[in-house]
Amino acid sequence: MARKIGLFVLALAMVGVLCGAALAGDTLADVKKNGVLVAGVKDSLPPFGSVDPNTKEYVGYDIDFVKYIAKKLGVKVEFKPVSSANRMPMLMEGRVDLLACTMTKNPERAKQIDFSYTYFLTGQKFLTKKGTVKSLKDLEGKKIGTAKGSTSEQNVTKAVPSATVLSFDDYPQAVLGVQQGKVIAATTDESILAGQLGKLEKNPATKGKFEIPDLAISEEPYGLGMRKGDTNLVKFVNDTILEMEKNGEAAKIFEKWFGPNSDSPIKRGSFKITADKRGT
Amino acid sequence: MIGGLDFSVVRDNLSYFFIGRYPKGPLGGVGLTLYLAVVSLALSFIGGLILGLLSVSRNRLLRYGSMAAIQTIRGMPLLMVIFWMFFLLPAMLGGGMTASWTIIVALTLFTSAYMSEIVRAGITGIPKGQMEAAISTGLSHGQAMIHIILPQALRNMIPSFVNQFVSMIKDTSLAFIVGVSELTQIATQINNRTMLYPTEIFIFIAVIYFIICFAFTELSRWLERRLAYRKAI
Repeated sequence: MARKIGLFVLALAMVGVLCGAALAGDTLADVKKNGVLVAGVKDSLPPFGSVDPNTKEYVGYDIDFVKYIAKKLGVKVEFKPVSSANRMPMLMEGRVDLLACTMTKNPERAKQIDFSYTYFLTGQKFLTKKGTVKSLKDLEGKKIGTAKGSTSEQNVTKAVPSATVLSFDDYPQAVLGVQQGKVIAATTDESILAGQLGKLEKNPATKGKFEIPDLAISEEPYGLGMRKGDTNLVKFVNDTILEMEKNGEAAKIFEKWFGPNSDSPIKRGSFKITADKRGT
Repeated sequence: MIGGLDFSVVRDNLSYFFIGRYPKGPLGGVGLTLYLAVVSLALSFIGGLILGLLSVSRNRLLRYGSMAAIQTIRGMPLLMVIFWMFFLLPAMLGGGMTASWTIIVALTLFTSAYMSEIVRAGITGIPKGQMEAAISTGLSHGQAMIHIILPQALRNMIPSFVNQFVSMIKDTSLAFIVGVSELTQIATQINNRTMLYPTEIFIFIAVIYFIICFAFTELSRWLERRLAYRKAI
């Protein structure tokens, strides 16, 4: 037994040493040299990142940002699917250069990785069956669904402490939980919920039966994630997204995925990409 | 429409179910599931045989060493082994390993550990007299193992091997947890995109898994019958 524990400790120590060894070099220079930018994206979360069934290419709001950045760099893009749970280790181990995966900026995460300026701003809301939830009180003591390892999970526990939080693998499963009555509400960022609601509205069987009540429990600024201390790349990305705001590209991408004619219409409101310090 | 179920979602995504993003991207879906299963199967057959032989070795160091390794791996859930490999291997090899191969290594390690016990049982199940008789004809211990014991033992092991392999084919579905786009992950993606047909999608992949496992079982039954007819005792 002592031997097994010894082995285990040794293995742990190895992991520690190796993680430490994967320090950030100059990713910007490496990307230019290799001619390819490896981006971690979501592959099953429309409208941010998913695979188009016809072309089999990645599409979405996050994807368009990455594509613009890569074009500016003059390199090719390679998309790698990541989940909320494995994206930070994937970045820190160097398996991706950049994370564009609906990632909320917060101080804990900012200790481990660097974020770009906010490229998308939303707030955490709920998706419910029509008329079941009018205020946060209606959620007390009930079951609420969300996704594992997300900030939504932490926020809802704080906002409604008496509720039972069920963590699904991803948000669509949580929404399915609402449809099947397993949970009273699914909670995450409005932008994601809007996409899910759009889907439900398209189907005659579920049309008009669901809604997103006007109950926001947090502000969620999304940032592109990069390795800690990777200052050159952070600066390049920040300059690029500011330029996208200036030349109207950012608004165009927003319009494409969230405009009135899209599957998940929401309002951009007064949000603009600026040199902000949200979430840090 | 079959009994209120709408399988058009399966028809519309058929090529995505079978090959994922290939040729625009890496192979996925049923193709990747089969690839993971076949490669891990071949590797764990070799791995199981080696570990099994080590665990009946007359050298005490080899025997205890391999037993310790087998016990450690068998004491962990497969999911843990997959997580370990997924995060550990690329860190050790400097990122030169694809996610699919980390799964193959995890499945191989895990299945080899179980297979080695089958091998050990198969070898110890052959009467001692066989080995004694073989050695008395002048064969060395190793030669006797290869020419006399193993051919008989392996035949007896086939049903247990098949059991283990079928279970491994189904275990490839755990790869979805680290985002490898095998059949289960593809089904989840399609389900997330369409939202409305979880029953249809998951019935479809259940049928696919069944067909793969059933075909494999039938193949091994045939193999067993062929080998049984040449059986000496």
